[in-house]
Amino acid sequence: MIMKKYINIALFSSLVLTTSCSKDFLDRPMENTKPAETIDYTDLSQMYGPVSGLYRTASKGAPGFVHWIDVGMRAVRGDDLDKGSTESDQSQLDEIKNFKNNASVQNFWGLNNCWTDYYGIIFYANETLLELDKFAEHIPSGDSENLALNARYRAEARFIRAFAHLIVSRVFGDVPILVDNVVINETEKSSVEQVRQFIINEMEESANALEDAAPRNAQHQGGVTKYSALLLKAKAASDIAKNDNGSPYWDIVLDATEQIIASNKFQLYEDFYELFKIKGKMSTESLYEIQYSDFGTPSGTDVRPGEFFAFQGPAGNQHGSPIAGWGFMKPSQKIINFLTERGDDIRLKTTVLYAGEDTESFVESPSGDKVYGNANGQTHFNGKAYSPANQMTPGRTAYGSDNNIRVLRYADALLLNAEAKIRKGQNGDASLNLVRERVDLDPITGATLTDVLDERRAEFACEWWGERYNDLLRTGTAQTALADYGFTPAAQYLPVPQIQKDLNPNLR
Amino acid sequence: MRKLLLLFLFLTTALSYGYAQVKTVTGTVKDSQSLIGLPGVTISKPDGTGSQTDAAGRFSIEASATDSLTFRFIGYTTQTVSVSDQETLDVFLISEDQALEEVVVIGYGTANRNDLTAPVTEVNVEDLTKRTTANPMQALQGSVSGVQVVTSGAPGSTPTVRVRGVGSLNNENPLYVVDGMFVDNIDFLNSNDIESMSILKDASGAAIYGVRAANGVVIITTKKGKMNMRTQVNYEGYVGFQNPVNMLRMASGAEYAAMQLAKGTRGDSLYVLNSIEQFGGQGLVPATNTDWYGELLRNNAPMHSHSLDIMGGTEKVNYSFGANMLDQEGIMDARNDYKRYNLRFQMEAQAFDWLKLGFTVHLSNSTLFAPDNGAFGLAYFASPLYPVRDANNTNAFPEDFASSTSIGYNNGVFNNPVAQAYYNYDRTKAFQVLPSAYADVNIWGNKLKFKTQLSQRLASHHKYDYTPEYYVDNTQRSQLSKLISVQDRYTNYIWDNLLTYTDNADDHNWSVLLGHSVREQRWRKTQASADDIPANEESWYVNLGTRSITGYEEDGTRNAGLSYFARGTYDYRKTYLLTATFRADGSSKYQTKWGYFPSVGLGWVLTNENFLQEQDFLSFLKVRGSWGKLGNDGINANAGYAVLNTGNDYSGIFGSIGLGSGAYLPGYTIESQFSRIGWEVVEEWDFGLDFTMANERLKGTVDYYHRLTRGLAFNRTRALRGGDIYGNFGDVANSGFEFNLNWADRIGDFGYNIGGNLTTLKNEVKDLGGIAYLMGGQTNFPVRIEVGKPLNYFYGYEVTGIYQNQSQVDNDPIGSAEGAKPGYFIYKDQNGDNVLDENDRTDIGNYLPKITYGFNMGFDYKNFDLSIVFQGQTGNKILNQNRSSRNQYSMMNGDAKFVTSLWNGEGSTNTYPSAEATTNGYTFAANSFWVESGSYLRIQNIQLGYNFNIGKEDKQTRFRVFATADRPAIFTNYSGFTPEITGDGVSGLGYDRNIYPVSATYSVGVRVSY
Repeated sequence: MIMKKYINIALFSSLVLTTSCSKDFLDRPMENTKPAETIDYTDLSQMYGPVSGLYRTASKGAPGFVHWIDVGMRAVRGDDLDKGSTESDQSQLDEIKNFKNNASVQNFWGLNNCWTDYYGIIFYANETLLELDKFAEHIPSGDSENLALNARYRAEARFIRAFAHLIVSRVFGDVPILVDNVVINETEKSSVEQVRQFIINEMEESANALEDAAPRNAQHQGGVTKYSALLLKAKAASDIAKNDNGSPYWDIVLDATEQIIASNKFQLYEDFYELFKIKGKMSTESLYEIQYSDFGTPSGTDVRPGEFFAFQGPAGNQHGSPIAGWGFMKPSQKIINFLTERGDDIRLKTTVLYAGEDTESFVESPSGDKVYGNANGQTHFNGKAYSPANQMTPGRTAYGSDNNIRVLRYADALLLNAEAKIRKGQNGDASLNLVRERVDLDPITGATLTDVLDERRAEFACEWWGERYNDLLRTGTAQTALADYGFTPAAQYLPVPQIQKDLNPNLR
Repeated sequence: MRKLLLLFLFLTTALSYGYAQVKTVTGTVKDSQSLIGLPGVTISKPDGTGSQTDAAGRFSIEASATDSLTFRFIGYTTQTVSVSDQETLDVFLISEDQALEEVVVIGYGTANRNDLTAPVTEVNVEDLTKRTTANPMQALQGSVSGVQVVTSGAPGSTPTVRVRGVGSLNNENPLYVVDGMFVDNIDFLNSNDIESMSILKDASGAAIYGVRAANGVVIITTKKGKMNMRTQVNYEGYVGFQNPVNMLRMASGAEYAAMQLAKGTRGDSLYVLNSIEQFGGQGLVPATNTDWYGELLRNNAPMHSHSLDIMGGTEKVNYSFGANMLDQEGIMDARNDYKRYNLRFQMEAQAFDWLKLGFTVHLSNSTLFAPDNGAFGLAYFASPLYPVRDANNTNAFPEDFASSTSIGYNNGVFNNPVAQAYYNYDRTKAFQVLPSAYADVNIWGNKLKFKTQLSQRLASHHKYDYTPEYYVDNTQRSQLSKLISVQDRYTNYIWDNLLTYTDNADDHNWSVLLGHSVREQRWRKTQASADDIPANEESWYVNLGTRSITGYEEDGTRNAGLSYFARGTYDYRKTYLLTATFRADGSSKYQTKWGYFPSVGLGWVLTNENFLQEQDFLSFLKVRGSWGKLGNDGINANAGYAVLNTGNDYSGIFGSIGLGSGAYLPGYTIESQFSRIGWEVVEEWDFGLDFTMANERLKGTVDYYHRLTRGLAFNRTRALRGGDIYGNFGDVANSGFEFNLNWADRIGDFGYNIGGNLTTLKNEVKDLGGIAYLMGGQTNFPVRIEVGKPLNYFYGYEVTGIYQNQSQVDNDPIGSAEGAKPGYFIYKDQNGDNVLDENDRTDIGNYLPKITYGFNMGFDYKNFDLSIVFQGQTGNKILNQNRSSRNQYSMMNGDAKFVTSLWNGEGSTNTYPSAEATTNGYTFAANSFWVESGSYLRIQNIQLGYNFNIGKEDKQTRFRVFATADRPAIFTNYSGFTPEITGDGVSGLGYDRNIYPVSATYSVGVRVSY
């Protein structure tokens, strides 16, 4: 009985013990998550962290700029790209191309996908800016060097945020401008013009904080710089200026592009064909490029833009070659004819990747890859998405592995410069001819607006950002140029996805 | 030993012979149920002298006619018998367990069934063992009211169990308590391991488990030996074959070709023309007709199970030992099987008269070769127009599988399903140890007792997923072999301390339980992956390949809980019953640490009252009511703060210039959208009736329940940026009736029983914190959550028919505005404004069944018995997402019913769209065509048995041989593989993406008991 008493005492005291330490027992932070508070904002060497994170977000699919269906959503309208692949595969892209904003488009899965991908970037950009504010709070007021760095990093984030607004507005027209994530559930729409004005203001405030260098020579190689901001500003301004030669916004375009040219930090990459290949990554011409890498190793991690390249790669049995994909985003007959008629051989060679007539025949690409035909009889594919096998890291087999995605180029600055000059009654020949000479075209004297716009059409043909369609819209020529596709101003932008209207009635 | 005992008996008999003015009384003492003789029973006379029974339970004692003999035996109720003029006495002792025949296991204790104030269902374990299922919960399907069991049919898969509707959207499964240990599922148990299973459905029963109890509690005790029992040996085994049942027929080559041609586009026709060109055919009819499901499935997949139990006990020690194994081949014709070996050992010792010590351990080992269910998914999509193998596909290696690109398919979803299954190697080896030890201290005269028990769960899973190097075509290849190796480790413990006091005075009976429980749950996962791994299994280590930079991952959780609880019961004359419980639960999982869960139950046994004494129609009638609060901490915890994501996946790449490769710059992102999550709280009312009538032939219960879940946690779609956010966003009520009726009778040698159960469910959202509605599910086919409506109803347009001709389209402002054609859906203009817009969407059904039911019949005649169990549900809707995937992949194959029913001219159908319409997004606006009724009735189980005994009367071996058909047939109009939809995420909301055929098992088996 005595033993029993001891046992009871022991049990009772253990109870008391467990109870008395209960506060600690239950007080446990969650495993394997790092609270945002663990960031040491006084350690300024980490200050680029949120910006690097944002570049990575932008380079992903969802959210990010490069989801394959988003390429289709923003680039299929216009006259340079057809949907490609088989007729019924993602057939809503054809309806989008043909301006049918009907229930079919409204319910297409790609619509909301594209919306959330862009707003996801914007959301994270806003977070990045809040992070940078926290670092700024810990910079002593006399530390002008770090204060300038902080301002520079903020400007990089604002560039990405502004570019995301440009793209989402190119697709959907009137969209919310989101600079504060707190109002994400009730934000209201802004007009197309307001969105462009927002971009101009943002870039005006950012440009001088950014590095005065070409992106390839930036401290963080490939990060955006002052000139990226200036070009983005010029593009937004040209959207507002539209076809009105008297618009003061042409002054903005002219001023911004002049600054880029006058910097002497940019040069067109000599070989237009190689510009889009692995060799041409982040060239002297690059103003913004989304970077990827397979780190030069035959296996292991390969940071790629999802199926961005495969989406556009040649369909059909490629007999084990890495030059293979699903066959979307096919250069249209119109662009092929256009380039052929103007004798634009280099651009034609670059823009179109030819394939054999049937599954047993092939065409050898300019870089020596055999591109076999396919059962659908599709014989041409997007050449600007083509990276030849002989430039790939040995051992890698994914189409486009280790290539970057070109976004903004110096050629755009030159052509906008020429356009602004001509619209303002000045001579734009110099800038225009730089672009022409690079592709072995004869220089033009006394170039007209049409010359410049044609040059834009040829230069940016089949790229992924909706450049051609935007040019047609802003110059008011969409109605005629896209008559074949049934263009109507009412359907010039895609409808806001139903689910977004359900989630936020302000978007109705 | 036996000889000594006999000698001792002989001596006592001889010694007592001296007082021989009285007679010799002889007889046997037997167990009242098994009729087995009980050795060592003490027989005493009023003068203190006595005797004992021998090994066979026989005794002999000198006694006079006026004596009364008292028979005492541990574990049995003491019996006193008057000798009078008898010379032989056969005494049947009633075991204590049996004396409390209607004893039911409840939370942290037991109770007499008649004293319960809560609806506690005790599962008939005998019935469980009749089902040839790998999992005991599957065996429960359809047999308990208010308990919905949904199974997917894949070997080794865990069924979803819902008690009384959906209280929670995330972890719907009840809490399983196996011998005191909390576990998430009982996949590791064999039905033959189970001695008793109780299901606590309402608050009054379950509230003692507090924060874990909201989804109900299933308490399982495994088989245990008893003191002074004869050694018992049981064997049960069966061998069976599984075959797919209610197999969905996919469209044949000709049917598929007809649909493709009817679409009227060159692209769609090309697949057909290409097939004819490549693989033969005539005119527009391709010769190829690949039945991909047929290629993937095997018939008569074997399954066998064996289990052996031995248990026994002496005066101070009892034990039980069990071993069982299960070997189940999957129905996919690829490496696909499940093997499980279990061992169980239990021992209990009466160390002192006041102290009992016990130990139980369950060991479980299993190996699962999981099939690549993705292959079934591909089979649903795959075109029947190309063959499995193609000798002309010269690039293919190591096997010559045919490529879908050969006839024009470019997308990975059209990959060769057989190749996908063939190149899959996915093995999970798992072991689990559940040790549990307890000490039971009798502090004061069987009235005040203390029990402490420490239970643990130590488990580990190791999964290998190996993909060899292979090539089929551009979209189906693995250029480098790949290995993913994942280990999960679980270490949980629970330490319970219970103090119970039971007493009575006159007609008052009461008991008090005070408890304290501490628990910790830890899970840790390590995942490593690498490319370029050699093909032999011995080399499957990630360091023998190239490890990807992001190929090492760890994850884990660690939760702790601390609880105090109490239960008081009181009754007056076993007629007026009161139970009250209270539990205070502390949890480390959420930002709020403590929760308090009270409950009260009242009962009134009317048949104990005088006014019902005069009749014999009703033998038992009780009314009861209860109220209580329960918690659910099965919902995901979140950090409750902004989370920092770091590492290579969140770092930008810089310097990828020219032929140079870039490098990461350390980066991070902040996930700032979070909600503060707490457990869900369920408040439940229950009113019920228990009755027995008509000479014990009819037994039944009726219950009305009303459960209000406050702070229901679910995902809602995030505005603008997409994705979901998880939080406690609403209050939802589940209410309904439960009926259970059983009639059993016997006419001579013929016995029969008929039983049924039925549960109704009304689900209604009560509050969303002032928000008008929330959206969830899939963005293109959303569900909506709205106050006053059932949770997560499918929200879309109502299809009223098909446009039959152009003038019908032209006369409909909606049809003409949308560019509809004959063969397109007619959408109902709900608000009559002649425009089809978002305001025309409506409630098109909900995934929760309004009624679930089961019924069973049993017959026995002499040595034969036959039982049949049916089970079904009605009133739920399913979104057939396999069919509606056509939105994204219009050239996919489909089920034959769909493909052959398509509209093909005026009057052909008013239900199905035309082939051409299936390529148009108009058809895929969220609408009622894709939502189907999920009602079904299934024959769950049929078993025919024959029983016989071999051996002498007191050493009989009982045999039962049986033949079983498990899930042999289902009756449903649903057009998928099965109307039972399980899974995580949206699958749990009735989005059917299941592509695994359900199989029926036919088996024969034998049970031997000695």
